Amino acid sequence: MSIMEYNGSAVVAMVGKNCVAIAADKRLGQRALTVDMNFQKVFPITDRTAEERIIEPKTFSNLVSHMLYERRFGPYFVEPVIAGLDKDNKPFVGTASDNLFGMCESLWEPDLEPEELFETISQALLNAVDRDAMSGWGAVVHVITKDGVITRDLKGRMD
Amino acid sequence: MAPSMESTTGFKFDNVRRNQLLGDKGYKVPTATKTGTTIVGLIFRDGVILGADTRATAGPIVADKNCEKIHYLAPNMYCCGAGTAADTEFTTNMISSQLALHSLSTGREARVVTAMTMLKQYLFKYQGHIGAALVLGGYDVGGPHLFTIYPHGSTDKLPYVTMGSGSLAAMSVFESRWRQGMSREEGIELVKDAIEAGIFNDMGSGSNVDVCVITKGNTEYLRNYARPNERVEKEQSYKFPAGTTEFIVPRPAGVAAGEESTAMDTSA
Amino acid sequence: MSALKPGEVNLGTTIMAVQFDGGVVVGADSRTTTGAYIANRVTDKLTKIHDRIYCCRSGSAADTQAVADIVQYHMQMYTAQHGEAPTVKVAASLFQEICYQNKNNLSAGIIVAGWDERDGASVYNIPLGGSLHREPFAIGGSGSTYIYGYCDKVFRPDLSRDECIEFVKNSVSLAMTRDGSSGGVVRLAVITKDGVERQFVPGDQLPEQYVG
Repeated sequence: MSIMEYNGSAVVAMVGKNCVAIAADKRLGQRALTVDMNFQKVFPITDRTAEERIIEPKTFSNLVSHMLYERRFGPYFVEPVIAGLDKDNKPFVGTASDNLFGMCESLWEPDLEPEELFETISQALLNAVDRDAMSGWGAVVHVITKDGVITRDLKGRMD
Repeated sequence: MAPSMESTTGFKFDNVRRNQLLGDKGYKVPTATKTGTTIVGLIFRDGVILGADTRATAGPIVADKNCEKIHYLAPNMYCCGAGTAADTEFTTNMISSQLALHSLSTGREARVVTAMTMLKQYLFKYQGHIGAALVLGGYDVGGPHLFTIYPHGSTDKLPYVTMGSGSLAAMSVFESRWRQGMSREEGIELVKDAIEAGIFNDMGSGSNVDVCVITKGNTEYLRNYARPNERVEKEQSYKFPAGTTEFIVPRPAGVAAGEESTAMDTSA
Repeated sequence: MSALKPGEVNLGTTIMAVQFDGGVVVGADSRTTTGAYIANRVTDKLTKIHDRIYCCRSGSAADTQAVADIVQYHMQMYTAQHGEAPTVKVAASLFQEICYQNKNNLSAGIIVAGWDERDGASVYNIPLGGSLHREPFAIGGSGSTYIYGYCDKVFRPDLSRDECIEFVKNSVSLAMTRDGSSGGVVRLAVITKDGVERQFVPGDQLPEQYVG
């Protein structure tokens, strides 16, 4: 078993038209044992309305990238996914986890509106985790638009 | 704690022992994203041309279908990277910043051999652990220059070069068609064909062709110069009607999930 | 005396240097390999260390290039500080120092040859362990094992300049035909008091020999 499957998780981010979505399941395990069924995996870095000083998604990605490369010869076992809107509301996303590639490849298309993007990312994530024993137990989706963040807790299989 | 663990610059090694332990316990430690790659370069009548495919792989998974493998070093110098994606990216970035400072302090345009020497000495220091295999090309006071640099720090100077997993396929194209004093158009076409040989015959290479033409006082970066693998339009849209996904309103505070759930209206 | 690391570029090589009255002839094949793939078929393994000092490199390409670069730098410093060119012995001794002190981390077999005011023409051999030997002629690299007998038979201390060129050409091309890790073209350099003359023998103009 790979150390990357120790806690088990599925995270994904997608670009839409002037919006981005980021989503994650809620399970935290120790191998096959489920420890937490409501574990937070998506964290706000900046909220452009609440913070006075904000960091651009690209800048933040560079920061994270350098923090990880510093540990090039003794890495942290993390694969972060970063999503955000920049100054011009241009969306920017990082990479998604392996087992979600297939779902995203077929479901995603360019220029999805926020509500369409919500459905697409939700279905991609739910259908991916339903075939992964180590992820699941509901999911949370955040859709970031210039007007604010839509956060929804998905109803998923609880097994 | 050893002094090396307290350093604030450069690489940190404080996770090494922990990771070694986890590895010994039988947990497979993940490997870095490698770019199974085709990268090439050639010298033509007026300068150098670099070429690269755009596929990044993580094991058998295509991690990025359109990544950039031709890295900026200086206005007159670019560098194609094969091997570990993070290593080529960070190594070229760091040398690029050192070159910028160097030409600022000398007041001259940096020379290609300078970049080559900095890269080889850096890679040699890490004895091959930094997995960057590079094709370095540029134009300076001495004219066009083209080098290959291997992860262990050895270099070669040749009029046409290939590197990466697709290098054999690309080299076969060069060996049969490269000529001294080719024109710009002939050069670009040959580079494109060499990269396409890699894209179609090497599993690790794929997607599009990036080209970079460097001549005296001019650099042209032709991103996606050829796109031989355009995705056909989906015959059917997989757009879900609004309300397909069931979610919980209001958002549960803390634990409770699944009690007060409301399915959205799906009749629309 | 470490073996080649995985993926490391190898100079599976034939290199050679011969001393004659008034100068030396150095020669090498031109093949560089990574595994079975020929990464460079026209490599120049004869590296200039100073105006009249050359070295022939065998072993790891990265290691020998790094060592040669270091020695080259020190010979330039030497010239600037002493106002005169270093002797071949000085260059060879520095090569030995580096090769010996780092013997566990290097795979480098180097031949240093050249001409200087003090000793005239000289050839030094620095094999894998980092020892230093002055010899009238030296051969090295994987291909050299095939030509020890031939070289011992043909070499005479009184060979002329042109005879030395022929001797190197014949020896290296014999090794190239038998050693899979050697091949390509033969590169030569004749170093005398008057300067360095480079020669190049294309693969289709090598001396003829029995090929089965």
